[in-house]
Parts: sequence; C-alpha cells; structure tokens
Amino acid sequence: MALLHEELRHEELGDEEYGVTHTLELGIPGLQLTEGDHICAFYRGPGERDEILIPYLRAGLQTGDKCICVVDAVDPRQVLAALGSESDVDRWIGDTQLELRASTDAYLRSGRFCTEEMLAFWENFVGSAVVGRFRFARSVGEMTWALRQVPGVEELVGYESELNRFLPRYPQVILCLYDLERFSGEIIIDLLKTHPRVLLGSMVLDNPNYLEPDEFLAVRSRTMNATRP
Amino acid sequence: MNTAAWPMGVVGDHLLPRTEVPVANRAARGDPLLRDQLSSLQGLLVLSMLMTESEDVRQILHLAATSVPSLGCCHLGGVHLSDSGWQTAAPPYTEPEVRAAVDAQLGLLGVGGGMLAVPNEQWAWAFPLRGLEGSIGHLVVAAPRQPSASEQFLLRVLAQQTGVALVNARLHAKERATAEQLSAANTALAQTVRALERSTAIHDQLTRVAVGGEGQEGIARAVHKLTGYPVAVEDRYGNLRAWAGPDRPEPYPKDPQARREQMLRRALREGRPIREAGRLVAIARPREDVLGVLVLIDPGRSAGEQELVALEHGATVLAMELARLRSLADTELRVRSELVDHLLGGADEEGALALAQTLDYDLEQPHQVLVVEGRGRRRDEEAFFHAVRRAARDVGAGVLLVSRGRAVVLLSRAKAPFDRLRCAVLAELGGGTCRMGVGSVCERPGDFPRSFREAQFALKMQVVAKGAAQVVEFERLGVYRLLSEVQDTVGIERFVRSWLGALLDYDSRKRSDLVATLTEYLERGGSYDNAAQSLSVHRNTLKYRLQRIREISGHDLSCPDTRFNLQLATRAWQTLIGLRGRCCGSGR
Repeated sequence: MALLHEELRHEELGDEEYGVTHTLELGIPGLQLTEGDHICAFYRGPGERDEILIPYLRAGLQTGDKCICVVDAVDPRQVLAALGSESDVDRWIGDTQLELRASTDAYLRSGRFCTEEMLAFWENFVGSAVVGRFRFARSVGEMTWALRQVPGVEELVGYESELNRFLPRYPQVILCLYDLERFSGEIIIDLLKTHPRVLLGSMVLDNPNYLEPDEFLAVRSRTMNATRP
Repeated sequence: MNTAAWPMGVVGDHLLPRTEVPVANRAARGDPLLRDQLSSLQGLLVLSMLMTESEDVRQILHLAATSVPSLGCCHLGGVHLSDSGWQTAAPPYTEPEVRAAVDAQLGLLGVGGGMLAVPNEQWAWAFPLRGLEGSIGHLVVAAPRQPSASEQFLLRVLAQQTGVALVNARLHAKERATAEQLSAANTALAQTVRALERSTAIHDQLTRVAVGGEGQEGIARAVHKLTGYPVAVEDRYGNLRAWAGPDRPEPYPKDPQARREQMLRRALREGRPIREAGRLVAIARPREDVLGVLVLIDPGRSAGEQELVALEHGATVLAMELARLRSLADTELRVRSELVDHLLGGADEEGALALAQTLDYDLEQPHQVLVVEGRGRRRDEEAFFHAVRRAARDVGAGVLLVSRGRAVVLLSRAKAPFDRLRCAVLAELGGGTCRMGVGSVCERPGDFPRSFREAQFALKMQVVAKGAAQVVEFERLGVYRLLSEVQDTVGIERFVRSWLGALLDYDSRKRSDLVATLTEYLERGGSYDNAAQSLSVHRNTLKYRLQRIREISGHDLSCPDTRFNLQLATRAWQTLIGLRGRCCGSGR
C-alpha cells in the first residue's frame, strides 16, 4: 500500500514537486507543520490542551484533510461542539472527513494496549483515507489513557518510537498530547527521545538526536541489562 | 512567540522543513548511545524549563525524582533539603536505619556532595541541589553499578536544575507572600479610605441638614438616605416626632413608661447605639438630658458599622437640633411667663400688649384665668408645669402660663373645655390628682388680676369645702361668690361670730370640729345618715355632737329661720377662710 501511495503521489505532483517536503498550518498562528511530523505536544491541563487540539483539527478540516482524533480525558461531544456549528460537524462526520474516537475505542479497544493493534488502527484509517479521496491526514491522540493501570501501557514509549516508522508511509502528521501535570519525568525524557519534534508552550523544539525505533529499542535493552545487578 | 536557545536542534516558532537532518541521512547520524545521551540532555533541559516554570515545590520534586531512572541505570534514594529534611514528594528510603546512615553522611559532605555508603546499594551518590546562595540539599541517587561518567553528568545537571527550580519556587512563593501582604495592606488601606470618605459624606450630609434648618424630619430623611433603613425620631417618652422611609406603623407603637426608662438608662450607660427589639437606638443628648431618640428600624439585624456611624452622627445632629429647639422654647416660655406676671400683677396695658405682640399673641381676645394644682405619682413641680403646658396646648386652652409655687396659673381662652383640660393634665401626669379654680372672663388686660383672684378663691373653696378634686368656676360659686365680693369683711365676721362664735371658741379651746360637723349637717339638708357618711362618723356620734352644738350655741336646729342663718354663717365662715387663704400661689 505504501508503494501504491508513493506512485500515486508521484503521478499527482509530477517530477518537479515530488520529493519536496510541504509545509502546512498547525492551526496555531505562526506555527507550521511539515509532512511526516510526529510531534509530542506538552500541555498543562484541559485549557491548554484545547488551545492546541481544537485549532489543529479546525485547520485540517478547513484545508480538506482527513482528521482522526482520539480523546481520553474529554468527552468527544465537547470536542465536536468546540469545532464548529452543528451543521458543519454533521457535514464533516457525514463526509467521513472527521473521525472522532474515545481512547476506549482506539488505544484500549481490546481492553489492553497493544502496539501492533494500534498501528493497525492508524493504518486502517490513514491508509484508506489517503488512498481514497483525501490528499492528507492529520491525526491526534490524547495520551492520558496511558496513566491507567491497564495491561500493555508499558509499551507506550516503544509504540511512540514505532510511529516514527509508520509516519513516512503516508502524507500525514501525528500529534501526541501529553499532560505535564500528570506524566512523570521519566516518561517525559523517554518521549523526547522518541519524538523528532516537541511543542512546549508556544515554542517548537527540534530534536535531531531522537532515536529511530530500532535504535531506541536497542539502547533501552542495553540500559535495562545494565540496571540488573 | 517565544524563541529560546536550543543547543542540539532547530529552535524557533516555525516547524520548518528539517533540512539539517534529512530523513535519508538519519541512519548516518552517528552512535545511537551518544544520541541517546544527547536526547537525555535535551530532555533534561525541557524538564528544567518545566521545573523553572513551576511554582509548586512538590511538582518540581516529583519531576526530578521520576526523571532519575531515565538518565541511566539509577534509582532515586531521596531528596534531602537542609532546612526541612527528607521530602515525601520524592519518596526516600523507607528503612529507618538506611535513612539514619545517609543522614549522618550528608551532614559530613561538602557543598559538592559525594559518595555515600548505603546498605544494600552497590553505588550511591549525593548530588548537591544548588541555589544562588549555595547548596540547599541533596539529590540522593543509587545504582547496582557505578553509572558512566556521562550518566553521572546528566544526574549532576538534573540536581543542579532541580536546585535552581526549588530556589526559584521559594523566591516566587516569598514574593507572592509579600505581594499578598502588600495587597492585603492596600485592601485594608482602601477600606479605611472608603470608610473615611463615607464618614465624611455622612458628616457633610448631616451638617447640611443641621445648617439648612430642615429640622427633625430632615435629619430622619438624611439618615434614611444614608443607610437605606426606615428611621424614626422619638421624644424621650417614645412619641413619634418624625419618620422617614417605608412601612410607617399606624398607630405608632409606644412602650410602657417603665420599660422606656429602662431602655434609656441602658443606652446612656453603654454610651453608643443599642439594639432593642429589632431597632438600633441612639440617644440624642447634649449632656445627661435625653432630648430625643433616633431609631434605625432593623428587624433583620443587618445594619453594619457604616450604618452605626450614620446613626451616631445623626443622633449628634438631632441633639443639637433639639437643644436649639429647647433653647428657643425656654426663651419663649420665659417671655410668656414675663407677660403672665405683668398681666396678673396689673401692670400697664400698653406694656402687656407690646409684650404680647412680640409673641405674636392676641391678648385682646376674651380670657379666663385658671389656677391649677395637683401632682403626679411623684412630686415634681417642673413635670407638673410641663404636663399642664402640654395639656393646655393639646386642648387648645392657651399657651400663656406661669408656675406659682405648687400651682400653675394659665391664661386660658374663655370658655375653653376645662374638664377636658383637667383630664388631659391627668393623662400627662399618668394619674394623680388635679383641681382647678377658674376665674371669670377677662375682656381687657386690666381684668386679669380680678380673674386671677377669683380663680384662687374658687380653688381655695374646693379645699375648704373638702370637696373632691374638680374644676370649680368662680361664677358658679353662688353665695360664696356673693360673700367674696363684699369689700368690707368686718360685717361678715360679725355675722359669723353672732351665730357661730360660741362653737368656734369651743373648737378652738377643745380642738374639736363642731362647726365643721354643723356645716356638713346643714349642707346635707339635715340628713343624719348623709352627714354621718360624709363626716365618716357613726350616726350616734353625729347625734351626740349635734346635741352638744345645741347646748353650746343655744340654737334650735329645728327652727327653719335659725337653720337658714346658721347655714349662711357656716358658708360665710368658709368664705372668710377662703379669702384669708387667697395668698395661695402668690409666690413663685
């Protein structure tokens, strides 16, 4: 499917534009995204979350992107109400431009977290969207579900690393939302190792030293071995 | 949009294409371990930003403590602050003996921290938490093996940034506390200023009322406007004098006198407004006299300090107003009293008329002089005078009066309702007795002395005749009036002596009451029973006395002619007593 996408894209853009990385609006004035971005967005509390989440989705919906949103701490209906008028929302959902899921219908839909299942989830929604009538997909996930005591949550950082492998396969961006007031310092540092870009407050930070999935897993394995007495 | 120095990546407010690290070249970015450490350092800087932004010491410690495992093969031993010991936000060793061992070593460490010997740990180190003024404590980290130099460097950076963040949070808390103190001081100052401004406004408004001569109604209106509560002005007896605001009660309730006096005593004792049955009461008094009472109607007890200030100011202005009114009244009373003295003393008409004119009083209307005697439950000549004054004013009898000893002399308009006046006086006194002598009509100022004498005589005859307290008009005295008008009383005295001489001498000698007994017997038409009842003696006693009267006087009481002359003689005898006692009330 990835090959098919690249071929279609090449055909659509032509030789000149194909291979050139495009920028797009994040939704927050002055901030831009680049195709393939995997951004870790830190926020403090629901207010700051909504200041990132809503403009991000609204910009995608206005541009005509496929928008896939998975929320955890907020009721999906609240997100819909904040996005636009009832008629707009009905249209976006009717056209399948907007997919809005609760974390229990996405990350934890089998009652536990499983990296493969979740990657398949994205593959299904993003892949079918961009092969279909959408040129671009922007996804966002509220990650507070990982604070629950459910099986598989220890795979979180590894999953974030694996997303880096998934991202280049389609024209897309993914925004991962982390509440600084709830996640520990250890998770924050590990997330920084697995995300090439970080949105912190109103500042965007590049991390050129982030670890590719294989590297991250290798380093992690080595560290864990060293910790054992 | 913020921008900040970022040592290992692109920094800025735009997510620009990552031309610095193209995707295709990522595989050639170097040693993963080195990049892991660089990523960790980058993560540390992000953590440092988060900790520095935080004002919550617990959150800073939590972030620092939970970051330790991600910086190497280490785990947290605890955070120990010099001034407050082990911090629960960064869970320390739980075993007491381990804590004690670490405590002892921390005390010996220098500012740079150092190696610790911790039971069951292969390696442990105390990294100093540095603030601007040196170390504020230690971050204790342990591991199953000695961490690499780069890992130790990361831990040292973590401790350093944690120390800075903690000091920053403390300074911030201190500044916030100072700011709160300043804010509280400013608030208190603003409140004081507002209270002063309001107090000044209250003072200004009430002063305007006082200067503007708006009277008691104006004061009530001003206090109502200032407080929003209904306001009443009462006299010391509880009578309503002015009201401002809604829900004026009809009729106006009035406490019994004893309860009223008790309330006034309490208010005077406390020296400030008191609460009494849903009312806030302030006394208007220039000195110890209670001139009036200012009342805030507040059944919900919601009036606050500002309302109290308005009430107290209002009471002060009311006291001034009432004192002024009293002074005016005193002056007017004095002038009236002067006029009455002039008239009763038979002074020149012109002078009297001129004085009356200054009082705007029509002296040339017909008058009658009244002499009023009596007493309330307690003997108080001034209270009696004012009771007569108010009663005379209320029934429209007149306003010219003067106090003469225990009596009050009133120059009443002619044919006033004297019985109603007497009842009104008794009502003002709250009981007691009141008798009145009324002179005949004065058509001219020169007639007042005569009318005064007649009033005195009429009053005296009530006493001599031992009659009940009542109104006695001179013009209705019958033979007494005739006898009193005889210029030469010698003839009358001779007549009295010729008929009653023996009995009078006997009474004088024996201190008996034969003349009084005879008088009562004749006045009762010769009825034994009525006379005995009136004299309060037994019928037989009366018969015995009459027998003695016949024997001593030698008169036949059954002879009509004798009885007529004897009755005339007894009345003449009473008249003489009345005339002789006319000096009553002649002095002030």
